[in-house]
Amino acid sequence: MHILLIEDDTEAAKFLVKGLRESGYSVDHAADGREGLFRATEGQFDLVVTDRMLPHIDGLAIIQLMRQKGVTTPVLVLSALGSVDDRVKGLKAGGDDYLTKPFAFVELLARIEALSRRRSSVPDATKLKVADLDFDLLARRVTRSGREIELTARELKLLEFLMRRAGQVVTRTMLLEGVWDLHFDPQSNLIDVHISRLRQAIDRGSDRQLIHTVRGSGYVLRAED
Amino acid sequence: MLRRELLNTTAFRLSVGYMFLVTLAVAVTLGSAYLLTDGLITDEVDVIIDTELKSLQDRYARTGIPGVTDEINLRIDSWGRIGAVYMLVDNNFAVIAGNVTHWPFEGMPAENWPEFEIAAIEPGRRAVHPVRAAIRTLPGGDHLLVGTDISQGRRFAAKFQTAMLWGIGLTSLAAALTGFWFSFRLARRVGDVTGTCKRILAGELGRRLPVAGANDEFDALAISVNDVLERLEDQARTLRATFDSAAHDLRAPLHRLRTRMDALLLRSPALEPAVHESIESALREVDHLQRTLAILLQIALAESGAPLASSAAVDVGELASELAELFEPVVRDRGLTLVDHEDSGAIVQGNRQLLAQLVTNLIENCLKYVPAGGQIELCVKRLADSVCLVVSDNGPGLAADDRMRAIQPFVRLGQSSRPDSSGLGLSLVAAIARLHRARLLLENNEPGLRVVVELPLK
Repeated sequence: MHILLIEDDTEAAKFLVKGLRESGYSVDHAADGREGLFRATEGQFDLVVTDRMLPHIDGLAIIQLMRQKGVTTPVLVLSALGSVDDRVKGLKAGGDDYLTKPFAFVELLARIEALSRRRSSVPDATKLKVADLDFDLLARRVTRSGREIELTARELKLLEFLMRRAGQVVTRTMLLEGVWDLHFDPQSNLIDVHISRLRQAIDRGSDRQLIHTVRGSGYVLRAED
Repeated sequence: MLRRELLNTTAFRLSVGYMFLVTLAVAVTLGSAYLLTDGLITDEVDVIIDTELKSLQDRYARTGIPGVTDEINLRIDSWGRIGAVYMLVDNNFAVIAGNVTHWPFEGMPAENWPEFEIAAIEPGRRAVHPVRAAIRTLPGGDHLLVGTDISQGRRFAAKFQTAMLWGIGLTSLAAALTGFWFSFRLARRVGDVTGTCKRILAGELGRRLPVAGANDEFDALAISVNDVLERLEDQARTLRATFDSAAHDLRAPLHRLRTRMDALLLRSPALEPAVHESIESALREVDHLQRTLAILLQIALAESGAPLASSAAVDVGELASELAELFEPVVRDRGLTLVDHEDSGAIVQGNRQLLAQLVTNLIENCLKYVPAGGQIELCVKRLADSVCLVVSDNGPGLAADDRMRAIQPFVRLGQSSRPDSSGLGLSLVAAIARLHRARLLLENNEPGLRVVVELPLK
């Protein structure tokens, strides 16, 4: 997995590169917009992580130029501009995800993982399966070891989100964005409460837990403990 | 629609008034001209008749009936006045002399200037001509009548009258058409301006008023307004740039700080648990700082008067019910109940994220202040020209003075200030409400607090 990081803040970049390499990614760093654009269009990367405000060419222009040249590499935008409008502009320009600075490193890792797996996932699958948990997407029916589980529409959406990313860490922010379409952080522990309800419904009466809490980052749905 | 709008314009009312005035003025002018002309013609006739009567009376005084008879016959036969009518009758109205066969009245007419009709022959047809006459009774009891055929004058007057009516009619029509065209044009130009202003208010800051190139007062107005808009757009751009660089300059160091601390946490071998714990707690402070900063920037941006960006149709009822569902488990965990009721089709133009943040802040405010056992009510009503969003609780509420202060930034009310509350919740609500040109009311729910947000439909 090869990532291009375009970031002019050298100190922040140093730590990000180090952290990403320690997490098993191979990372190239470009320190300004011109170099970033050149490498993003010429090189073979699986993912581009770019800052928004850059010298020479800003992050949004890089994405637009990349897309014009037919480069479809997923792009994650990091930005110190965090208003609702900035986010909309970032995604409109062709970015695939938008993260406002400062962010937790685990948040960045989770987003990178989600973006890198998105390419290989099958979006139009009609059935999802993790261990003995089955989700029939057409009938909106969930069974665990053949036993049917009653869930509300929102719980189904939440479970679908987790199952589509089975094995990946999903943060609370990602759940708020993906399931509720909310792009700000409420102060209450809303997601924890919803997850614990879902966990009760899914894992109750089963000796194997599927929804796991990842301390300090979020949740993961997977078969192994 | 356009017709009703047109009827309501000042220009239309002015042009209707103008049309009435023009019609009245033309009618008075032509009418008096008609009356004057008619009077003049009649006066001329009367003077001639009077003069002739006097000369015939003189003749009678000198030569008696035979003299007058001779004189009348002479005048009839000679090339005298055209259309002259003479008649001398005895006291039984039997004709003695004259060019009319019989006395035209029943006895003696009462008027000074009686009129009657005589049969006349015009080329090709029989006609009846009006005659205006005067009668004098001679000392012998005979009656002397002198008249004039006034058919020509009458015809002239009739033609004048027709011309006058046509004139008035055509003038009114012309005035009405001009007025309509004028008010239509005016309404269209004003409509263009109004429409453009609305779109600018809706966020299309780059729009300008149309300049027709006619060099008239409208163009002058449009050019001046465009200059103002230009300056406003400049200011908005500068302001936006200032916010952006402020956000950048504050967030970048926070970001470096956070990244370094994150790196420490991920380091292997792992840090001592106590150090790990204190770094984590410092990280929470950084996140809190970041959140406060985000809210402050959002408030500042909203208060700067910049228009609402990324505005779209938002179903407030649907949004409220989604948020009620999102919050319901947390509310229940706190020992509270959440009741919600939403009208369907409560759609406004706005920003979904900001409106969601508004509702979230109001619900979280209730969570913060309403003690266990209390109830939170979320209600969205669709009114004639607005959507009314109400979040109310039966908690301790706020004193009247505090309700005014509560929406100002950093105001904390009561003793229950918690370390995690920044006191910005309600001021962000106020800022978002203002961005949506909504009315925000904090009311006494008797007991509790009732926050009403009235979002205009247009």
